[in-house]
Amino acid sequence: MILIIGVLAGLVAGLARSWFGKHPYRVPQVHLAWLVFVAFIPQFVAFVIPATRDQFPDAWVPAVLVGSQLLLLVWVFLNLKVSGFWFLGLGLFLNLLVIGVNGGMMPIRPELVDRLIPQAPPGFWSVGERLGVGKDIVLAVEQTRLWFLSDWFMLPGWLHYPLAFSIGDVIVSLGAFWLLWASGKNYPTLVEVHHEQENQQQADCYDDSVVRR
Amino acid sequence: MKKLSEKMMITAGKVDGQTARLVLFVLSLAMFVIAAGAPEAGGTIGF
Repeated sequence: MILIIGVLAGLVAGLARSWFGKHPYRVPQVHLAWLVFVAFIPQFVAFVIPATRDQFPDAWVPAVLVGSQLLLLVWVFLNLKVSGFWFLGLGLFLNLLVIGVNGGMMPIRPELVDRLIPQAPPGFWSVGERLGVGKDIVLAVEQTRLWFLSDWFMLPGWLHYPLAFSIGDVIVSLGAFWLLWASGKNYPTLVEVHHEQENQQQADCYDDSVVRR
Repeated sequence: MKKLSEKMMITAGKVDGQTARLVLFVLSLAMFVIAAGAPEAGGTIGF
């Protein structure tokens, strides 16, 4: 849910930007948005719905996670011209990279799991196994490839919300924020662009006539 | 059922295209960040 905060904050900031600037909020034209829905559904079944996630075999998790994120990467690639998609793509790529080279799940180090769920009974988790019903696998640092891209960071204690996250997660959130913030910018309309081009052409003609004299 | 359908059509008619596009865009983005990210909150669902 923490990732949704980036989306909501970006939306509020972008709407406020357009409201204070007294211009319309322009939703970017994205292609094939249904691909996101198709990519999201398997993860929703595997990690969110309690009735299905509890039954979901751990062995299927890597295929679902990597397959779903590959589809998202295709969607980003198809929309790279839209401002902010480079950020979204970079964050997704970094997460997919570390997940891919570590067997298809996001690595998390045991020390962090101890801090994350100190109340967990003995045997609730073990190194080399999937953590709960999430996307993470507990791996020691020396077992982890590209450890610096894994769930390495934790929110500060004073927030009272134990959460481990990766650099990729931060970049994805920033990308979503930027995309929604940029949509609140005052872009010139086609009519304004046309007028500007006409004015420029007239100015060029005037310059030419002055030079000829 | 017919009344429900009529009510849905009336409601849909009230929502202008720009708002509908914004809602769909934000929904797509929300689904994207949830699926692209992999934070771990208290060892539960991973979202």
